Amino acid sequence: MNDDKRTILVRYDEIGLKGRNRKYFEKALLKNIKRALPSDSAIEYRIPRGRILIDLSSEIAEKYGDCLQNIPGIASYSIGVSIDPDFDQMAELGIQWIEPLLIGKDQLNFCVRTRRSEKTFPKTSTEINFEVGSRIMSKLGPKGLNVDIKNSDFTLEIEIGENEILIFHNREPGLCGLPVGSSGNILCMLSGGIDSPVAAYLMACRGCRVHFVFFDNQPFLGRGGYEKVKKLAKIINGYQGRAKLFVVPFQDIQMSIRDHCKEENRIVLYRRMMYRIADKIAKDQEMPGLVTGESLGQVASQTLENLAAVTCVTTMNILRPLIGMNKESIIKLARKIGTYDVSVEPQPDCCSVFMPANPSTRGKIHLLEYDEKKIPLEQLEEEALKNMETMKVDFL
Amino acid sequence: MIYLDNAATTFLDPEINSSLQGYMQDNFANSGAVYEIGLDAKKKIDDATESIRDSLGIPNSHSFVYTSGGTEANNLFIKGFCFPDKKVACLGLEHPSITETLRSFKEFNNEPLFLLNYFKEGKLDYSCSSILKERKIKLLCLSYVNNELGTIIDPVSLMKHLEQEAPQTRLFLDGVQVIGKIKVDKKMWSSLAGLSLSAHKFHGPKGIGLLIYDSRLVLNPQMHGGKQQSGLRAGTLPVPLILALADSIKLAVTTQKETQIRFQELQNYLLKGLNKLTKPILINSALDDSQSAGIVNFSFPPIEGEVMLHHLEKEKIYVGMGSACSAHSKEPSKILTGIGLTDEQARCSLRVSFSRTNTVAELEKFLHAFSNTYEKLLPTFSKKTVYR
Repeated sequence: MNDDKRTILVRYDEIGLKGRNRKYFEKALLKNIKRALPSDSAIEYRIPRGRILIDLSSEIAEKYGDCLQNIPGIASYSIGVSIDPDFDQMAELGIQWIEPLLIGKDQLNFCVRTRRSEKTFPKTSTEINFEVGSRIMSKLGPKGLNVDIKNSDFTLEIEIGENEILIFHNREPGLCGLPVGSSGNILCMLSGGIDSPVAAYLMACRGCRVHFVFFDNQPFLGRGGYEKVKKLAKIINGYQGRAKLFVVPFQDIQMSIRDHCKEENRIVLYRRMMYRIADKIAKDQEMPGLVTGESLGQVASQTLENLAAVTCVTTMNILRPLIGMNKESIIKLARKIGTYDVSVEPQPDCCSVFMPANPSTRGKIHLLEYDEKKIPLEQLEEEALKNMETMKVDFL
Repeated sequence: MIYLDNAATTFLDPEINSSLQGYMQDNFANSGAVYEIGLDAKKKIDDATESIRDSLGIPNSHSFVYTSGGTEANNLFIKGFCFPDKKVACLGLEHPSITETLRSFKEFNNEPLFLLNYFKEGKLDYSCSSILKERKIKLLCLSYVNNELGTIIDPVSLMKHLEQEAPQTRLFLDGVQVIGKIKVDKKMWSSLAGLSLSAHKFHGPKGIGLLIYDSRLVLNPQMHGGKQQSGLRAGTLPVPLILALADSIKLAVTTQKETQIRFQELQNYLLKGLNKLTKPILINSALDDSQSAGIVNFSFPPIEGEVMLHHLEKEKIYVGMGSACSAHSKEPSKILTGIGLTDEQARCSLRVSFSRTNTVAELEKFLHAFSNTYEKLLPTFSKKTVYR
């Protein structure tokens, strides 16, 4: 056993279920892990079957482990010690970890669990549990240690691999899902509110690299919304990396719709323009899907009819991961991923001059199309795309 | 950049900035420490206090508590003096650090009195003294200069009236828009219960304010944890900021006369300029002596103040407003609706506020940009929606 060395054992989530594509997913996850961990030539990565192992010094193991908590595709990880196939050594390490926990306590329940992927090892998992467990009990039993497989306070885990044995006592949960990049690139319509960042996060956890588009109201509203969206994009990008943020000037489109179209249709018309522009950006960037934070019935523009009225302007996949969630669950998730505090900063997302008094909840597509004939739709769209700003979120 | 939002905050005067850097470097000692450098720091605070006393003509009957700014000073005095059951009143047009503090008393069954009905033609109607007497109001809180409109009250005549008609009512003034901007009537101190001020409103640093209060009144501390400042506000004193506050007050008072002349010139130019635009502009600020020349508030419906503000911002012209046009915050300014403006007039307003360094040339540029933006936005804001 080398005291200065640690091995982080990374367990996959759904990659384990993949058949012949498994290598592809493993490669994507390894790439994401390497990107997320600070670069260090002394770190070594290995992929034995079903696991990623990261060898590094004990000083940095915990800090680097923390970084793994934000990488989609990881089910859990443990920081372990590589050890010789010697039960005395294994027990000694167990005693070293358990003994301090007994101070000031009458009793402590523990168990040993072994996973043996190398079947040529001369003992079975149950035998190993017994060998190590009994050695620990002989030393610490008199001090109050008990064996309890169902309700243990401390679990000593042993993994018998092909070339090495790892021993550890911690399992930190990961984000689960699929590794970012394995499902491709998508474009999220980010508003600055609570919902769309959560939708983006959920899609990142399904293996998408999420890029962002923001429709900017300046100078009708101040730069606050723009700055807020940059902050939100940065937070979500922390889970994936390499995202782009497209900022589309939208005020001329809004003014045109406001001045020429029916008041009650305004919001759906704005959204149809947003979808059209997002569709164009996504196609240009070879992103085969759009993601939005819409949740059925949450606001007037998110009724079934209005969702249909915006969806029909594009041939893209529209992904709405929040569609069946209630606001409370969305807020809970927003707090967990760290976007909530930014989302609730008081920045308006639409100037009241553009808001209708009574927005339509059931937009009729033929009437919306009739309204759109009153504005130079293509010209406005082209102009907005021409003046679009593109940013790499990694460098914000 | 043209900065015309000096009621919100002012730039740090270069001279003050330079002395503040020195104070930061040289005065690190804790003024509560008993060794030499601590005592030196304490002495410097005492000197600063004396300097402020001299600059503003404050008598020895009044004590000082240094705070983080005007909001804290208002909270400290009102809560410290009145909480939980002394009756309090205000107009309802004051800064939220007064109105919200008063409203917070409600949950202790101490209903505050709002005197908005006694605010007529931009002035407080002194007949309010009868209700102050009837309701046994112990403290009347007012803005010396209103932060959105610039309306000035006359504390000396008001207190004289109160002494006769409602002698149990003492007057507390929010004075953050006062120092260096209008002439402070030194006669007011003898009867005044308290006054708050904040350095960043007159070219001093942010993070330092002052409560000046009649030391015969008993205040309860709002911050516990030390014996500093007579136990009224625990916490180590920010020596460099206090010294810079004293310098800023001295500078503001010394330059007050010339500042006021400059304000007058700017106010006249702006009002004439707005008038010449021949647009339906409504001047919300008063046009007589009861008005600080440093603040001009006006409405220009149907264009939203916030939209105008952001368009001017694009030209690097910064003005203020008291309302927000947003999907989230549709509430118009309570101060403006309080003086009788409609919600639309209140939403469609801006506040221009001057500093002593603003120029007529800057206002000319502002008027030009305002006029152009107005023309540009008018079709969008006018109610005529074109349907075909």
